[in-house]
Amino acid sequence: MNLHQPPLLRRLVSISVLLTLLLLVSAVLGLGLGSAPPQLVESLGVLFGQADPQSMTATIIWRLRLPRVLLAALVGATLSLGGLVFQALLRNPLAEPYILGVSGGSAVGAILGILLGLAPFPGVALLAFVGSMATLLLVLILAAGRAASQKGSLLLAGVMVNAFCSAVIMFFISITQDARLHNIIYWLMGDLSQASPDRLALLLYLLPPCIVLIFLLARPLNLLALGEEVAMYMGINVKTVSYMLLVITSLMVSAIVCQSGLVGFVGLVIPHLLRLLLGPDHRLLIPACVLGGGSYLVLCDLLSRLLPSQGEMPVGVITAIIGAPLFILLLQRGRG
Amino acid sequence: MTMFMGLMPSFPVEARVYTDQSERRVSVPDNPQRLVALAPSITEIIFALGQEARLQGVTQFSDYPAAARSLPKIGSYIHLDLERIMALRPDLCIGIKDGNPKYAVDRLTELGIPVYVVDPRNLAGLMQSIREIGELLGASDQAQRLVADMQRRLDQIKALVTKHPDRPKVFLQIGISPIVSAGSNTFLDELISRAGGQNLAAGAEAYPRFSKEQVLALQPEIIIITSMTRGGAFEQIKAEWSQWPHLPAAQNQRIFVVDSDIFDRPSPRMIKALEVLFGLIHPELRSQLP
Repeated sequence: MNLHQPPLLRRLVSISVLLTLLLLVSAVLGLGLGSAPPQLVESLGVLFGQADPQSMTATIIWRLRLPRVLLAALVGATLSLGGLVFQALLRNPLAEPYILGVSGGSAVGAILGILLGLAPFPGVALLAFVGSMATLLLVLILAAGRAASQKGSLLLAGVMVNAFCSAVIMFFISITQDARLHNIIYWLMGDLSQASPDRLALLLYLLPPCIVLIFLLARPLNLLALGEEVAMYMGINVKTVSYMLLVITSLMVSAIVCQSGLVGFVGLVIPHLLRLLLGPDHRLLIPACVLGGGSYLVLCDLLSRLLPSQGEMPVGVITAIIGAPLFILLLQRGRG
Repeated sequence: MTMFMGLMPSFPVEARVYTDQSERRVSVPDNPQRLVALAPSITEIIFALGQEARLQGVTQFSDYPAAARSLPKIGSYIHLDLERIMALRPDLCIGIKDGNPKYAVDRLTELGIPVYVVDPRNLAGLMQSIREIGELLGASDQAQRLVADMQRRLDQIKALVTKHPDRPKVFLQIGISPIVSAGSNTFLDELISRAGGQNLAAGAEAYPRFSKEQVLALQPEIIIITSMTRGGAFEQIKAEWSQWPHLPAAQNQRIFVVDSDIFDRPSPRMIKALEVLFGLIHPELRSQLP
């Protein structure tokens, strides 16, 4: 059971190369197509340095579409990875990356920011992050001291805190009366249209080390997915590893949610799909979720820009419309 | 509008630096040729100034005048599609402070597109905005003529209203559920008082909400509903209000629906809105308008 075992290493390399190619193709499509006239052929010229870098097409591609494609890839990767980790850790196929109160907390923070009239970045994003960190802390405190069924009480605390946050959100929406309502609803649906370079910098520093850290914990995660007792007999410090994974993952998810709003279903669909294709080994699933989830959201975001004849729709609408039926299909297949 | 001549020598064409109504400094090329209007009201102003030939793009609901409908669309004024705006290569965008998101204006500026933002808060501010846009486009004469015509029509109504002390109580309903009206310091409040009515929703809150019983307690003599969807929905609201026999507006059959576009958009057509309102509040004086 080590990484240097030839079949595993070979599978890891081939899957990574394949999914990296998929991500690259998605990115080229995401950069090459959009609501404005420069279409694929002209865009390819710009991408491969065959056009004037000062041209309008180049500006549109590098300064408007690139930050957006990067954000979509990071959000998709983080949500898929988050779903994968929580599903294994909580041994619950319905666990999603927001399960520990992250969605409710960040939404309350973001809506407060919007109502206070703060700028989307850093104001609203910062409040969303603070909100999700506060609810995460609350959930951990509520669940602590119940070691007997630690997983169950974490889930319960997360669900209840999220439910309370929904109540607060409904209250805020009912008292909002102007254009800010539109902003709030777009935020709750998950929207990538406000991607810009300064927002990405933070994510590019924070996410890669977290992903590496989670990858290093892939073997303990495999054992935890089999059950806590098995993991304990195999010499894993169950409590420490679980808490590390929970906190790192929730931190990552909070960092992207505060930029993108609540993009749903990515964290459910991608891990289930990949588990069905690749089997249960997290040493393969972790890189596959990062690359595959990234590609998936880049393509969904492209659809959200291309489908409407006027403007664009929030990407969360697309991920939900594709995700819900796909998830049902995957669960049926999984059972059969 | 303060102006500094020739401060930006790096621009290929002659440009002037203006301070717009959101206190941003904007370098606008002399005689800009490729305009994008970031709100329906701006589109209407540019058409009213006769400068539509330079207009390259408008927002989704820019439906007046009819010719505006065939221009390329750049998203709605709340969700501007920056990509489409950039692809039109504008040399000037004109936006509104109350509506266009600030981040979108900032992004366009970063990308090298000058955005001149107006912020009309009342009819005087609207006329000032028209003059400023006229100056930016080198169409000051047309702007002066347009504003003079608006002022003349304002004065005619003012003269009639001043002579006539009767101020009927008006409840203006914007939303159906919840019921929303317009408080002081809004265009709608100004239009009601200039038309010789008393705005029952006047108060610090800009867009206050009401329950049905509160509206009944206010005893409005006239209920005016601004509606985007005419027909069925309006008949229903009218029927709902008409079932209250003690409501003066229902007794007098003075429940009306008006086209929300001319009331909501700070454009030259707001004078038309004032004339419509004046006709509804003071039908006895309507014939005296020239």
